[in-house]
Amino acid sequence: MLEIKDLKASTGDTPILNGLSLSVQAGEVHAIMGPNGSGKSTLAQVIAGHEDYAVTAGSVSYKGKDLLELEPEERAREGIFLGFQYPVEIPGVNNAYLLKAALNARRKHQGQDEIDAFEFLKLAKEKMVVLGMDPKFLNRGVNEGFSGGEKKRNEILQMAMLEPELAILDETDSGLDIDALKAVAEGVNALRSPERAIILVTHYQRLLDYVEPDVVHVLSGGKILRSGDKSLALELDKKGYDWVREAANA
Amino acid sequence: MTALALPDKALATAVRELPDNALADNREAALAKFLERGFPTTRLEDWKYTDLTDVADISQRWLENGAPRPSAAAIDGRIAEIRSMIDVDWIVIENGAITAGIEEAASTGLGVATFSELAHVPGYDHPLADLNAALLPDGLHIRIAANTTHERPLGILIVDGADSEPGVAQARVRIELEEGSAAQFIEYHTSIGDADHYANSVVEMSLAAGATANYVRIQGRDRNHTQTHRTAVRLEASSTVRYSGFDLGGRLIRNDLDIDIAGREASALVGGLYIAGDGQHIDNHIRIDHRVGPARSTLEYRGVLGGRCRCVWNGKALVRAGADGTDAQQSNHNLLLSERAEIDAKPELEIYADEVKCSHGTTVGQLDDAALFYLRSRGLDEQDAKRALTRAFGASIVNHAPIAIAAEHLAAIVEERLSRLTDGEDA
Repeated sequence: MLEIKDLKASTGDTPILNGLSLSVQAGEVHAIMGPNGSGKSTLAQVIAGHEDYAVTAGSVSYKGKDLLELEPEERAREGIFLGFQYPVEIPGVNNAYLLKAALNARRKHQGQDEIDAFEFLKLAKEKMVVLGMDPKFLNRGVNEGFSGGEKKRNEILQMAMLEPELAILDETDSGLDIDALKAVAEGVNALRSPERAIILVTHYQRLLDYVEPDVVHVLSGGKILRSGDKSLALELDKKGYDWVREAANA
Repeated sequence: MTALALPDKALATAVRELPDNALADNREAALAKFLERGFPTTRLEDWKYTDLTDVADISQRWLENGAPRPSAAAIDGRIAEIRSMIDVDWIVIENGAITAGIEEAASTGLGVATFSELAHVPGYDHPLADLNAALLPDGLHIRIAANTTHERPLGILIVDGADSEPGVAQARVRIELEEGSAAQFIEYHTSIGDADHYANSVVEMSLAAGATANYVRIQGRDRNHTQTHRTAVRLEASSTVRYSGFDLGGRLIRNDLDIDIAGREASALVGGLYIAGDGQHIDNHIRIDHRVGPARSTLEYRGVLGGRCRCVWNGKALVRAGADGTDAQQSNHNLLLSERAEIDAKPELEIYADEVKCSHGTTVGQLDDAALFYLRSRGLDEQDAKRALTRAFGASIVNHAPIAIAAEHLAAIVEERLSRLTDGEDA
């Protein structure tokens, strides 16, 4: 589904990704772990199409298409979803408006009719109940005045509505209490299916207790140093990141 | 002789050809005062950014033509359009003449009459108010009787039109809210026609003790027309005015809003939104005079600027000695959608009292890139994302318009106007 080859990216004059390769197949859940500043978030932003990051070498193909050629909105309509580490507060833009506009943009791209207002409301409320969100959040500004946990739940709500083929969750677990973490994990697990792939970008092993990854990668210095199964995450949790770096340098 | 004078004789002739009514003597007096001072020029601090040469030029050409009452074929259509969009009782002031609505409004229990009927002589010391008084055929006087409440908003439609010859028109309204009364007003300025036009209007409103007024001013003049507009509000004890002004049209627009806080516990809650595109100049000057305290004023203005345009915002709160307990808040935020748009924003606080709570803040910025990317990452195309963010920027002012029926109308016309700006059709 996603093939990244020797990807190099920088912001301004600072190189952040230094020849990263990654292959993700449909049906898989990958965890990307790594210390702060290793390039985890940059990778997520580059896949979503953020203009602050310039790709200087390498390629990214998604469902056989050159992803780097697509605008951010085209990537979203093609089924890519980025759950932001720091979701933006947008006062005055209604949450329901955004959800509906996003959903309709995707449906239109797939040749489907726009969703009916009642159908939309029913769907949104169902998903909100599952995520433990009050339906009145629909009528608030996007993330406006939301707590950290509410913002992350809101990201998962958007993901649940849009049913992406490739979801990248950037530190969605950071700063969450246990209830919010479980709600997020449930949302992710509900999305798991043979047609979809999920990339969890995370600093800690904690989320992986609830969402079991197929593959775990360790990112450091803008490259993947090591890949393995879920036991790698547990090992990292015990030994810390220095262990991987030392092993790589040896 | 000032730089922006009008020809004495032609102006005097125009004044003398107006309908002979109770205002005639006052017109002569106002004419003399105007001729002494002429139009304000950019040498005055308050007029530094707004040059009335254009307005003086239109007035001069109109006088050279013998000062005819302007006309436009499509004006009836425009009036019908506004009536259909906002369902309230409208009093229509058409090219300076009150042409409809007085009887209907009076039948709802409002005290409505013309200045000439009441022999009301307008007085307001400003050159533009003098020009207005000199050329005023008649004015509109509205009185809300003590301890009565008029829920249904009264519309005042100031509509002008000039098809082929340059036009000039004056409108004047006096509103008195007696003790404990409450009423709502929608003041709508619009114009039509291809010729140049200059509209000069004055609104004076007084609120007696405990009175409440909700007021929405909407300016949607055609893009080749000019306007100077002065509003004076006097607040007695425990009275409240909620005022929102919206400027969407016009080539050269200058609004002055003067609020005189004359009684304790009075509140002035003022909001405004101006939207300017290519070739527009919109200037809002607001002055709040806190003469006594405790009293409260809040001022929140927002501007959206696209294309090559210029907007001016000047908000001044004056807190006089002894006006302790004054709470005066001002803010002005501007969203620039184009590099050729210019805003001159100046908040001013002048405080002579000791115990006051005052603040002011001004911002000028572009659309937030992080928010734009967030929306695009959800599948909204760039244009829709920009529209949503621009609409959101103005929404706080539109949603707080104190009259629901006006807010609904504004939501629609503001959205349409902003869409054209963000899509670059207007830039």
